[in-house]
Amino acid sequence: MTILDLDNFETDFWKDVDARKTWDQIIPGELRDTTPVTLTKEVIARYAKGVGEDNPLYFDEAYAKTTVYGGIIAPPSIHILLMFACTTTEDWMRSPGTINAGQNWSYHIPIRPNDTITMRGTALDRFIKKDRLFAVHENTFTNQNGDVVCTGRGQTIRPV
Amino acid sequence: MDAKQRFDEVTEGDIITGRDFTVTRDTIQAFADASLDYNPLHFDDNYMENNFGKTSFGGVIMHGMQNFALISRTLTDWLIPRGGFHRRLETRWLKPVQLGHTITPKATLTRKLETDKGYWVTFDIEVTNQDGTVVAAGNAMAEFIDVIPGSPA
Repeated sequence: MTILDLDNFETDFWKDVDARKTWDQIIPGELRDTTPVTLTKEVIARYAKGVGEDNPLYFDEAYAKTTVYGGIIAPPSIHILLMFACTTTEDWMRSPGTINAGQNWSYHIPIRPNDTITMRGTALDRFIKKDRLFAVHENTFTNQNGDVVCTGRGQTIRPV
Repeated sequence: MDAKQRFDEVTEGDIITGRDFTVTRDTIQAFADASLDYNPLHFDDNYMENNFGKTSFGGVIMHGMQNFALISRTLTDWLIPRGGFHRRLETRWLKPVQLGHTITPKATLTRKLETDKGYWVTFDIEVTNQDGTVVAAGNAMAEFIDVIPGSPA
């Protein structure tokens, strides 16, 4: 397992740009290259703070234990972080100019500290609409027990 | 209260107004550090002078997923104290959000539905900017349940 290290993440999205698939090279159905990551309590707290989630359920274990959740959980939107945390610098979702057009996400099991999350990501479809190049992606995140925690689909407009 | 009782406490037509959010370079940086999305769309003024297909933004834009996270927070800030469990969020980005813009998410509880095994509510979502223009739209679902999936025994 790899503990997610936020401080050594490659923030230069131009790096490896030539290794990434362009719209023409995206094959519907093909899997994206992913690596499982383990989310610590600190990573969850940092994500929550970064997106302005101030419910103590996300960072205060003593409080969280008193709730129906029985302990700290991650904010549901943490898949936003996982999408980049689980993929490589060569993943086409990092391509500069990738424009998000919309997303839909379903939530099943809240993510908890020390969960190891695996991403299965595909390019589900690609199409041209109003001269724009679209790709549809679908991601499924599972935990260390093999249970689906959340799944989502989105559309991006690809850079030309 | 059990799930049915908590479900009975919410009403079709309930309106949830989220907190106002004003976009600055600092909020963009904070969101990038949280999400790990460092696309130059959000940082590089020179790059944003380019045209993107038929679109010219004329400056850096807020992350679309910042909007998603704000809507999600709006829903869970309301649902969690009422014992509701956030199940689904669907969004479409209609207009870019730029530096200095102030956006406000709003959710309207559109429908309560009892199914074979659950108590469900649906929401319509709109995010408007300081001019009242809708920048994002969507819908969401929540469930009232007695045991959160994956909870410690």
